[in-house]
Amino acid sequence: MANAELERDPFYLRYYTGHQGMHGHEFLEFEYAHGRIRYANNSNYRNDSLIRKEMYVSPAVVDELKRIVRESEITKEDDVSWPKKNIVGKQELEVRIDKDHIAFETAKIGSLADVNESSDAEGLRVFYYLVQDLKCFIFSLITLHFKIKPIQQ
Amino acid sequence: MADVDMATGANGAGDHSWAARSVEGWIVIVTGLNEESTEEDLQDLFGDFGEVKNLSMALNRRTGYVMGYALVEYAEKEQAEKAIKETDGTTFLEKTIRTELAFAKAPAGARRGPGGAGAGGAGARRGRDREASPSRR
Repeated sequence: MANAELERDPFYLRYYTGHQGMHGHEFLEFEYAHGRIRYANNSNYRNDSLIRKEMYVSPAVVDELKRIVRESEITKEDDVSWPKKNIVGKQELEVRIDKDHIAFETAKIGSLADVNESSDAEGLRVFYYLVQDLKCFIFSLITLHFKIKPIQQ
Repeated sequence: MADVDMATGANGAGDHSWAARSVEGWIVIVTGLNEESTEEDLQDLFGDFGEVKNLSMALNRRTGYVMGYALVEYAEKEQAEKAIKETDGTTFLEKTIRTELAFAKAPAGARRGPGGAGAGGAGARRGRDREASPSRR
């Protein structure tokens, strides 16, 4: 796929994690669409402020992103019995890939123990690992491109 | 405004006028890696085309094996281009790997307002509804 074709490619991915708390709306979000990755990170703790970055990536990066999503088989899952968002916050994952479109919402997951307690532990595990792999990829790209360290939440 | 047309980019030997420089150099993405590759293996391969300033190779969180991609940073574009020319589509540890520059320039007409992408400010960008705080006072 050539670079210009990315602008017509319907592949879309967005991940959000955040909460409202004593430091305001703290969140981390990244989104891929049409060759561009956008990233936003707001932490008000100790007067940290909103960071927004965007970067255009080559088809090779997009193909890898798609491969990670496809191999996870996340589109076969359903969030219906995952933990609901709560006072601690929420996570959202939206993906449009091939013929599938998912928009999942669930509570923040502290550890694998939280996953194992779910009535859909297997599905939630797919989500949990995919999110980690996506974060790892996106953060590596951001770190190398801008030389900033994203704040892990 | 379509004076900057994106080049092919589909195979590494091509024109890289579409590629964007990162803050400290040029980033090459390597995909299709053997799941037992190590950073040393990559250092050995990519060090032949110039000093590798940074190398990041992710592990699959579930399996602990290599995810299959790596990001390699060179200071000079020529080094990155040489690495791509010499390694894209070649066999490395019994797997065919692909190599390409990772970042692209914004397409013509894509930038909104002065400063464009990554200017670092929250600026005038329109907030998204899910980021809006419900009337906190």
